Parts: sequence; structure tokens; C-alpha cells
Amino acid sequence: MPSRPVSHREVITALPAEPTGRPPLLMVHGIAHAAWCFAENWLPAAAAAGFPSYAVSLRGHGGSAGGRRLRRTLTRDYVHDVMQTITELPEPPVLIGHSMGAIVAQLVAERYPLRGLVLLTPAPLHSAMGDLVAIARDRPADLGRAVLGQTLSMEPEVLFEGLDPATARSYSDRTSTESPLVQWELLLPQRVGPIRCPVLVIGTPQDRLVRVADVERTARSHGVDPVWFPGMGHDVMLDTGWDGVLDTVLDFAGDLPPWGRARPQG
Amino acid sequence: MRIAVIGAGPHGLSALKALLQNGIDAQAFEREADLGGNWNYGAQTSRVYRSTHLISSKPFTQFPDFPMPDGYPDYPSHFQVKEYFTSYARHFGLVEHIRFDSEVVSVAPVGDGAIWTVTVRDRHSGDLHVEEFDGVVIANGHNWNPKVPRYPGQESFGGEIIHSADYKDADVLRGRRVLVVGAGNTGCDVAVESAQNAARTWHSTRRGYYYNPKYLMGRPSDQTADLLLALRIPLAVRRQMFKASLRFAVGDFSKFGLKKPDHRFFETHPIVNQQLVYYVGQGDITPTDDVASLDEHGVTFTDGSRADVDLVVFCTGYLVTFPFLADADLHLDWHEDHPRLALQVFTSKHRNLFVSGLIQPDSGQWTLAHWQGMLIARFLEARQLRPVVADRFYADATARSGRRFSAGTTYKDSSRHYYEVAHQDYLQSLQDAINALEVPA
Repeated sequence: MPSRPVSHREVITALPAEPTGRPPLLMVHGIAHAAWCFAENWLPAAAAAGFPSYAVSLRGHGGSAGGRRLRRTLTRDYVHDVMQTITELPEPPVLIGHSMGAIVAQLVAERYPLRGLVLLTPAPLHSAMGDLVAIARDRPADLGRAVLGQTLSMEPEVLFEGLDPATARSYSDRTSTESPLVQWELLLPQRVGPIRCPVLVIGTPQDRLVRVADVERTARSHGVDPVWFPGMGHDVMLDTGWDGVLDTVLDFAGDLPPWGRARPQG
Repeated sequence: MRIAVIGAGPHGLSALKALLQNGIDAQAFEREADLGGNWNYGAQTSRVYRSTHLISSKPFTQFPDFPMPDGYPDYPSHFQVKEYFTSYARHFGLVEHIRFDSEVVSVAPVGDGAIWTVTVRDRHSGDLHVEEFDGVVIANGHNWNPKVPRYPGQESFGGEIIHSADYKDADVLRGRRVLVVGAGNTGCDVAVESAQNAARTWHSTRRGYYYNPKYLMGRPSDQTADLLLALRIPLAVRRQMFKASLRFAVGDFSKFGLKKPDHRFFETHPIVNQQLVYYVGQGDITPTDDVASLDEHGVTFTDGSRADVDLVVFCTGYLVTFPFLADADLHLDWHEDHPRLALQVFTSKHRNLFVSGLIQPDSGQWTLAHWQGMLIARFLEARQLRPVVADRFYADATARSGRRFSAGTTYKDSSRHYYEVAHQDYLQSLQDAINALEVPA
């Protein structure tokens, strides 16, 4: 059955001063985050580099409607929100998904011919059970929260490595609640059909939410090697070193062949 | 490789997009000044009328990779549909690959058919251009060339006769005594508009039908129907459930004076019209038998009854025609009034001539348009990259030319239903075909 629409969707936009012919970037946040996490650094920097840049808040997050139904929201509702956002863009975008947003992005890529797909510290499609076990070892209290349907800890030490404590705290305080159903869905193995667009996978060895092995497995499933950014935390778009990660993403996006001109890989 | 696409309606657009998406250069030709084909309201070959709305709901009707906006209703109007196609074409950069005001007048193979020449007339200057292509996708639509019946005494009829092809809005009905012939979805729509506007309305149908509601149990009825499919409820049980739900919501159609359906559910193309029975019940529509003959003042029906009418609207459907293809019977393996195709797309006569859109699904159309386009593109891609796989696929597929996709139903009146497909059956067959082309050599 089709997803129920929400009355308002927040899309934060940063456009280059003049058209550059570079592909649009659409960024999808992860658990308990919203478009703000990209608006902070990445959107203005990517626009300054000539990329029309957009970040969407999934329903029940940030400035988007749907908060009251958040407890009944499923991953497929998020896929619906991203698909709707894409159809409002002037041309096929490079889709950038962070963490849980990377799962949404892969489900979109299965269905829609993206220019390119970027997965930032991606939650694993093949089930986050292993990550949950690792989280339980590190932070036993968090296991209980997750099982009870409460949002995973978004404390500064979980998300960041290099940021000064005050900034890290302020970002952490901006996180919100997540749909318990979506969190539980992360534990289920999901399958996506073949994805024919170019894929970039980015991870950090210090990630406290997604294990190195899972990032590797995700990258392997797309036939690529992950690009690692040691010394950074899970939120690579906010932590110290975000500019280096963005450079890698923009290099990837800038080198993509125009849509509809190139033979797809694979 | 460069492929020509004839027509920039939904099937032309989705074929064009699928080709470009798969790295195949393509050029579409559209005879009108704008895209949309049948949905380009007001254009010469458009057959939608002012009040046309979709009769399948938006999630089953849209292109799967380009959902209709959340702001659209469950059943959008043709104005919204056209707007949707326009944003689809802009989003995927199709517009620069469409030549407008360009009527394809001839499509012919060169020699053994490895190359096709396409002759196009510029509708402004009248100039002819000839171009060569490595393949052609025919997407000129099958709902534009009116099928007009002939009845005894038709010439002597003193009133006006039109075909629904020329029906644009209810103005033509106002205050007149109207006979509507045909109970397809258009016939039912026109009968309802006539009930609302004309002085009197007769509705002549060959047989009784199931007039399905647009909503069932709070959902668009096609969504309810597909829920039952997803639950793998067998055909016989689904038939009973649909019959029972109609009986419960409306009752026995024959009590309204409508004919009793002479067939089982799913054996004819579904009619979605909640208002027809309502207006019959109000006496605004008089259901009648077949037309026997016309005379100066009106019509005599096969049961001997008569009616004086001022206007006859033939809602009797359309003929499939490929006016630009001189030897359609040769190139498309023509049988009686239709081409014999494999998967409703491929012809056994040519490996680089394809038809898209020659289907009439019992659900939304453009999901299938998308996958037809993808199949054509993947086939052309496989011919370049994995010729052995493509050859094997083509041989298998064309060996089963003419195969129907009815999901176990036998359609009534086969000529009217030659293009009918059960969407779940057909979609599965397209998917299997695409998968067969993905296999490494």
C-alpha cells in the first residue's frame, strides 16, 4: 500500500551563484538527525564549489511534518519522502546518504536512475545486528534502549572524535527521536536489486555505531573499496575533518559522466 | 547506435528515457507541438475530454521511478497527468531529444533491415527529412483512430453523429436527446455527463458489465484488488469477493434495468464508474439493447423499441494503425486486425523494430510503459555487450509470439481484448525477460 504523504517536507537548499552544469547533490540524514547536519558545513561549501545542493529532512525530523506519526513510520516512508524530493529536482541527482540514510539511499537507487550514490558511514543493509552487539559491549545501556524502542544514544562521544566539547555537545543536543520501527528494521537483512550507478563508500575506523567490517561489506556489495577517514567519528559531515570528506565526495560527483550519455557500469 | 522513437506520449517518453538511461542515443518524433500524446488535451490526436480523470489510482499508474506529486489526488485529471509527463521529460532531459511538429510519414528498412529510414514531415514548412536509424520504437498509441460502426439507415439519420474521439466536453450534449453507444470507460463517462446535461439519455450496450467503484473499503479499488493479489488469493475466490462486494454495495445490476453480465469478473476490460448506476436509478439514463437501425428521427433497438434522438455518440473504441509503416502486415506479422508480437513488444520479423504501448492493462498503464522501455533498452544493450544472450532471448521470446498475459482468465470478445493484459502476469513476464538478458554470456 502506498505511503501516506506528509503535509510539509523541509528541504534546505544552497545553490551556486550561477549555473555551473555540475550535478545536484541531495543529502539524506541518519537516525535522529535532520537536514541541519548538512546545512551546517556541507551545503554552503558544496554550493561554493559549484554544486546545487539540497538536504531533506525525513518525515518526523527537523522541519518536516509527520512527528506525531513517527512511532508508526517505516523505512519505506522515508524512501517515499526522498523519491518525492528527487522528482522536484531539475535533474537526476547524486544521492548522499548518511548512516540509516544510506539504507534509504540504496533503496532509492534500486528504483531510480541516480547520477551517483554516496554512502557515508552506512548502516548495513545486511542487518545491523553485528553493530548492535558491538554497541551492547561498549554501552550496555544502549542495547536496552534500542530493544525498548527508544532512540539510540546520540551523545557527543558516540558521534564525534575531534570536535571541541562545546560544539560536539551543541550538535548532540540537536538530535531528536527516531522511529522505533525504523530502528528495528535496521536489524532485518534487506536486499536491494542491482544498482547500476557509480557508488562511493566512506567510513571511519573510529566509528562507534557502524563497524569497519560492515562498511567493508557494504562497499563490496557495490564492487568498490571504501575510502577511510581515520580519526573521525560517525558524523563525518560535522566532525573535524568534514572538509576532507566533502572534497572526496565532490571529486567523485564532479567526475561523473552526464546522465544519459554514458554506458552504466556493471 | 541511434534509435528512433515515434511519438512523445507516455510510452514514447518512457522508451526514450530508458534508452538514454542505458547509454543508447535516441531521437523521438512528435507530430504535435507539445508532448503528452493522448493526454495533450486539445491537440489533434488527443482523445481525452475535459472531464477525463485516471481510472486507476496514482501509485499503480505512475512511472515507478518518478512518482506523481504527493499533492495530486488518488485519481488525477488529464491536466495533472500532462503536467506530470512534462516534469518527467524535463527532469530526465528528454525534451532536447524530441523533435516537435514532426510527423513520421514513413518507416522503412534498408536492405536486410539492419538500418531503418525514417521520413519526417515538418508540420510548419511541410518539408520532408529522411534520417537513418539502427532501430525504431513505435509508440504512436492505439487510442486515436476511431472505430465507427455502420448501422442500417445511418445515412438517413437527421440528427448529428459523432465518435467519442471528437467528444471534448458536455456542451455538445446540453438540452439534446442523446444516444450513447458503447459501455467502455469512455461510453460510461459520456453517458454520465449526458445524464447531467442532456434532455434525455439512452445508453446502448452489447452486454451487461460489472461497473466497478473507484473506492472500495476506503481505498482506491485497484489498491484493494492488488492487496488481494499480494495475499495470493486465488482467481476464483477473488471473483467471488468482487462480485459479493458489488452486490453488497450496489446490488443486482439487472434490478436497475441494466443487462446481467454474461461473463465472469476479469473476463472483460474493467469498467470503473460509480455514477452510471446512480443515474440509471434516477431515471436520467435509460439502458437499452443494441442498436438495430437508425432512421430520420431516431433509433430502433434490437428488442424493437424506439427512441427519437438528436445526437448519437459512438463510444466504440479505436483501431490500431501504423500509418507510417507501409508493409505493417509484413514487418509486424499482422493477423486480422492486430500485429502478432512477442511480449507485446518484439516482432519475429525484425530484431530492431519494437512496439511500446500496445497494451490495455487491468490496472495502471505507465508502470508497464516504464518496464517495456527498460526491456527494449536492455535488449539493445545486450545485443552489443552479450550478443549470444540477446540472440537466445530473442529466439525464445519470438517462438512464443502471440502469447497472452491473462493470469488464467479467458477474455470475452477477443478482438476488443487483444491488447488486454493482466498487469501482475505481464509485469512478471517483463521482469523475467529483463532478468534473462542480464545473464552473463
